[in-house]
Amino acid sequence: MNLLRHELRLLLRQRLTVIALILLASLTAAALAAGMAEVARQRAAIAAIPAAQAEDIGAVADDVDRTKDAGSAAYYSFHPTWDAPAPLAFAALGMRDVSPYILRVRALGLEAQIHDGDIFNPEAALPGRFDFAFVLVFLAPLFVIALFHDLVSGEREAGRQRMLDALAHGGRRLWRRRTALRLGLLWIALCAPFVIASVIEGVSAVAILTVSVVALGYLLFWVGLSALIGRWRWSSVTNAATLAAAWLVLVLIVPTLANVAINTAIPVDQGSEIALAQREAVNHAWDIPREDTMRRFYANYPEWSDSAPLGTAFHYKWYLAFHQNGDDSVAPRVRAYRQGLEARDAAGRTLGWLLPSVGVQALLMRLADTDLTAQLAYQDRVRAFHRRLRQFYYGYLFRDRPFTRTDFDRAPCFAPPCR
Amino acid sequence: MSVVRLIARDEWRMMARNRVALIAIVLLVLLTLVATASSFAHQRSIAALRDRHAHAADTAFDAQPDRHPHRMVHYGTFIFRPLGPLAAFDPGVDAFTGSSMFLEGHRQNTANFGDVRQSSLLIRFGQLTPAFMLQVVAPLLLIFLGYGALARETERGTLRLLMLQGISRGQVVRGKLLALGTVALLAATPAAIGLVAVAGQPGALAWPILAIVLGYAAYLLLWTVVILLVSTLVRRGRDALLALLAIWAVAVVLLPRVAPDIASAAIPLTNRFQTDVAIARDLRRMGDSHDPDDPHFAAFKRSVLNRYGVSKVEDLPVNYKGVVAVEGERMTSSLFDRYAAASFAAQAGQNRLVAAVGLVSPTIALRSLSMAAAGTDVAGHRRFMEQAEAYRYALVQQLNHLQAAGVSYADDSATDADADRRKRIGADHWQAIPDFRFVAPGGGTLAAAALPGLVVVIGWLAVASTLLMLATRRLGAGR
Repeated sequence: MNLLRHELRLLLRQRLTVIALILLASLTAAALAAGMAEVARQRAAIAAIPAAQAEDIGAVADDVDRTKDAGSAAYYSFHPTWDAPAPLAFAALGMRDVSPYILRVRALGLEAQIHDGDIFNPEAALPGRFDFAFVLVFLAPLFVIALFHDLVSGEREAGRQRMLDALAHGGRRLWRRRTALRLGLLWIALCAPFVIASVIEGVSAVAILTVSVVALGYLLFWVGLSALIGRWRWSSVTNAATLAAAWLVLVLIVPTLANVAINTAIPVDQGSEIALAQREAVNHAWDIPREDTMRRFYANYPEWSDSAPLGTAFHYKWYLAFHQNGDDSVAPRVRAYRQGLEARDAAGRTLGWLLPSVGVQALLMRLADTDLTAQLAYQDRVRAFHRRLRQFYYGYLFRDRPFTRTDFDRAPCFAPPCR
Repeated sequence: MSVVRLIARDEWRMMARNRVALIAIVLLVLLTLVATASSFAHQRSIAALRDRHAHAADTAFDAQPDRHPHRMVHYGTFIFRPLGPLAAFDPGVDAFTGSSMFLEGHRQNTANFGDVRQSSLLIRFGQLTPAFMLQVVAPLLLIFLGYGALARETERGTLRLLMLQGISRGQVVRGKLLALGTVALLAATPAAIGLVAVAGQPGALAWPILAIVLGYAAYLLLWTVVILLVSTLVRRGRDALLALLAIWAVAVVLLPRVAPDIASAAIPLTNRFQTDVAIARDLRRMGDSHDPDDPHFAAFKRSVLNRYGVSKVEDLPVNYKGVVAVEGERMTSSLFDRYAAASFAAQAGQNRLVAAVGLVSPTIALRSLSMAAAGTDVAGHRRFMEQAEAYRYALVQQLNHLQAAGVSYADDSATDADADRRKRIGADHWQAIPDFRFVAPGGGTLAAAALPGLVVVIGWLAVASTLLMLATRRLGAGR
């Protein structure tokens, strides 16, 4: 213990080390603050939904109340859905900056709505976000390199290595002690701010522990790499250059190469083709006998087949039926599209087993619920909600019940709090 | 042979003897070649795919049967943002903005299906393009090769030997500059070959290519000068390397990420939900065509009746429903324009803030220069969105006018069994509507947009060169 304290004193006398540790801690704190601010913005945007929605739906209700027409209510009412950030989202914002976390849908064809995006500045999203995941995955290894590249070679170049090896508590134990000390300090610089931020954000203890262990493991990988390169007894400067080159390859080059390879190897049917096909199917209904549309709809949804037959006038139940038929007609393509996205994502995550940088990023995004899995889960919730919406409006349209002002309050709600 | 060239040759010999450096150069050149080839192939296939989709959408539109014009307003059309040839060099935000858009009446849809939501998480690590290689990787290689160029000579005392032989400090520095500058050129060669291939494509423009060539040449030269500057100022090779790595990490990796975050926090964007609600609110204030007592539409009706000198809409020579549709679209569209302009203005404000940080990080300045010249920046996206909206408006209004002129009010209001047939107009009308054609900006426009970034990078080069000149005078002093 005494020796360790002595080593610590020795280490903290090096200006480079102290600056590096303070810099890493401040960068971590800044990244956490930026992430927390972004998550707070997203939460505020979600919290602002009910007020704006009440105003909007109130105006629709005023309009519809004149006719009590359920079809107009279904057509003009947009219903909000949202994807609240998970407690850990501030640490790895993942895809939340390019995928919408608020999406309004109505009871018409969902495939024409669910792929809509939100407004974001693409130039700001291009370089990626400045969050804890970035500091850990991209920056922390550079600090490991700064602190470890001359661990042994520095002593050798100063002519002290032989003496240190000959000491009673020297040799391997000394290097182990110094390694543990530097690693520990780096880990604290990273994780102390993280733990504080996590406690503020109410992250579960298990998640905090997992991230801390992952961070330690990632740092260990880079320390191990430094030790490996240190064994070749090169000069400090060659060590630093080699390690920086390794960083470049592992963190920047291989992931970008793999991205090209994955997107080439796993072709995904362009999403726009689904949108085109769905719109053809929907609009085609205007050119075929309306009974054909209804027959097809009732085949899939027999619970409504006892509804009164269509007259000559326009009826919204036919309109909603062909929208649903349009969605149903592209369902296999939607499944294939989704499987393609999942396959690409899985390939990316598989690479994570080989490449710690990708692995840590993927793991953090999974824990933070900001990866593709989370996006697809949100889409699933939107789909389920859309089903409930349709059922709700069908209940009026297929039974020819009037839609009054109070019925607006009976509409399904995506998740509490409803209004 | 001149002294400068001799010194440069000596430096090259040093690099050639350093096996790690040699491998690094070869790897970089190979990787840039791969990046250039894959980026080129990607751009061609994407451009061809979008062209094919656009063609299919146009054909589908023209092939629609006899219809009520308002059905065509809702049938709408799909348009695709074409990808210019320079996107092969720098695709910019192309993957981050949707590339296809559905245009219909009363609504302004988003551009959807960007690659960023269709790829694995790896896309957020960066994209393998010639621009990425030159912006991020090439400077690092130059650092590895050049950090010791002068520090080594000072450290080992060989500088003094050189000076004893009557060689001036300036000659030494110029020789090293020549050596490292040549390597920088070598690193840029594969990307330059790619640019030449791009230049051969139809639609490629000379001025933007020139801006890109100048910008990247100045950027790599800037790194060469900065590396030698640090190598001059710092006495030990190791310190020079660490200092340069730190400069690189801050300028190339850290600041380009931090700056947009600061900008997005400083100038928040209104999200789509709030925008849609606000547009609906403004529209209600302007007038509600569904409300029979609405003052705006009551006045509008009076003015239409007066214009034709009749007292009932049934007596109008045009279909009043079509006339109302024209008015309604005019109102919504004016709001769309206003809100889109506000959003783009906010984004431009964010990007200006980022550009201000670019005064500290030349990489940011170079990136914006590169995207602006390639037409793949936010301004390029905005250009597409604005043309899309203009086309959408013209298309919808054309269809609304067809409804006003081609469908009688009596037929349009009828609900009998045969009414549906009478409401339809001939399919030849759809074929007469021109297809969407994106008007690409001229070379002058793109090059002008790249100019601010170019000025910053060249300004940096001038400052760094001056500093190097000053530092050269004191080279080796204090030893």
